Amino acid sequence: MKAVTNAERLVTQVLTGEVWPALADRHGCRIGPDGQPFVLPGMGGVTLGVHCGDPATGYAADHLEPGASVRHADPAANMAVQFLTCVGNQVTVASGPARGLVGHVIGQHAYVLVDFAEAAAARLTTGDAVTINAIGQGLRLADHPSIVVKNCSPGLLELMPGGTTADGRLEVHVAARIPAEAVGAGVGMISEYANTDLMGAYESLGADLSLGLESLRVGDIVAIADQDHRYGRGYRPGYLTIGVICTGQCMLFGHGPGPSTLLSGPADAFRLVDDPAANLSSWLHNQGRAEQ
Amino acid sequence: MNAQLNAVTVNLLGTVEHPELGDSPYRVDADGAPYVPVGDGGVVLGLELGDSVFAFDGDHAAPGACLTHSDEAARHALVLYCCIGNEAEVRTGAAAGARGAVIGKRGESGRVIVGFRASDLARMRPGDQVSVRTRGQGFRPAWLPPGVTMLNLDPDLLAALPVSPGDATVVSVRMVLPSKKAGNGLGRPAAGWDLDLQLGPGDGQDLRLGDLVAITDIDARYNMGYRRDWVSIGVTVHGSSPLPGHGPGITPILTGPRALIAPREDVHTHAGLTTALLKLQ
Repeated sequence: MKAVTNAERLVTQVLTGEVWPALADRHGCRIGPDGQPFVLPGMGGVTLGVHCGDPATGYAADHLEPGASVRHADPAANMAVQFLTCVGNQVTVASGPARGLVGHVIGQHAYVLVDFAEAAAARLTTGDAVTINAIGQGLRLADHPSIVVKNCSPGLLELMPGGTTADGRLEVHVAARIPAEAVGAGVGMISEYANTDLMGAYESLGADLSLGLESLRVGDIVAIADQDHRYGRGYRPGYLTIGVICTGQCMLFGHGPGPSTLLSGPADAFRLVDDPAANLSSWLHNQGRAEQ
Repeated sequence: MNAQLNAVTVNLLGTVEHPELGDSPYRVDADGAPYVPVGDGGVVLGLELGDSVFAFDGDHAAPGACLTHSDEAARHALVLYCCIGNEAEVRTGAAAGARGAVIGKRGESGRVIVGFRASDLARMRPGDQVSVRTRGQGFRPAWLPPGVTMLNLDPDLLAALPVSPGDATVVSVRMVLPSKKAGNGLGRPAAGWDLDLQLGPGDGQDLRLGDLVAITDIDARYNMGYRRDWVSIGVTVHGSSPLPGHGPGITPILTGPRALIAPREDVHTHAGLTTALLKLQ
């Protein structure tokens, strides 16, 4: 049965942001795993052609951010946007030729990442304003007190298959299982902000770099072993973290496709079901497309 | 880097940091409990090389004074160029003239940890200026196998550390850890950022400030990240932290394929960076 939550007690806060530009410095190049310099797009602006359900890797990109990358211009207001926005929240374009079109949040990466249908994304650009209906922080699972919910809208949780099992665990469908060795940049950071870069998915580079994660897709629900993300992000044997892949291909070493954290708790509080369809595109984002 | 190139010394000025906190005094530990961080930067008294990283209820406490620079770019340069073992001299304040030595460095915005005699450190305060004879980046000893990279180490200090040339460079370490214990610092540049070890007092392994540590399957030539059959050696430069994903930190000094670096775990007899080596006794 669906897990019982406190969703009826949550409030929605209306936030604003704008599509933020890509950022670089005058030196241009960053450095890859083997010392190779690179200049590659991916972060900031509106990245076209990659959506939930598409491969996360295999692009000439670094920190690929599908869709629109959103921040608020005021630093404190921006932290509110980054902390309070949750995966599955509805985002409406508030200015420019795409005004009125609707997308959904797929994760955080020091930007709020919003996936729109391709036709809508193609009409968006840097500086366009968006309105975010933020809801989800504070979401609790009444019958799973050891599991902490992070960055997950109640609507997304309702749409995801699984729920409370007869033996009291939380069943979650996952598209991939991730070993603790893959966890790279983002470890040690708070789990309401940005995401966890997964190493071992450097498509087309050396075999000694691979942890077999080259088949991840944007929007995949994944389980990361031995990770406790309840109050930050750290290694803890016997814990488990569920996340959603919201960024893709990286060339920067120690970085890679990244899940935003959705759920974290003791591993024995979960029951995982391997399910290739455990992807945002199976539930939430199809709705976004239908609305347009 | 060509082995024939000579290391260049650059004098740089740093300022002893003042600790900074936000509007809330609390950070949150791995179990969700709030705590007030103590010892995270600035001048920290009462601990020195050789002390257990778990001996104090601090957060990233380092044995000495941390240097920064008010200009962000100059701060990065100071941190990148400083190497363990570099000589330092206090230029202003009550301890002016006192000699110290670089013990290590830390990431984020960057800070250099400089050790002093306890009597000198006790006379120092945030804002004091310290000049460092930075030297070492780009240096590699002629005997070092081409596949091994040395970084963050004063050329004169290498011979004093338990590092032995050979077909594989043998290094005495307190412990060898798997890559999954690497924490904050992954994905960041090894020349300017330390690598926190996700070790707590309950893990049953003691670690002391100054100890050398080996971490397997981590490549630290540029950014730090996972590479199978690789090994990186670092010096333990600060104490433990209650923050998840953080812990005692190492400043990397050697990195290369496992076939070329052979860490030898000396749980009881290991001696790494000491006050004697740095002439701070």
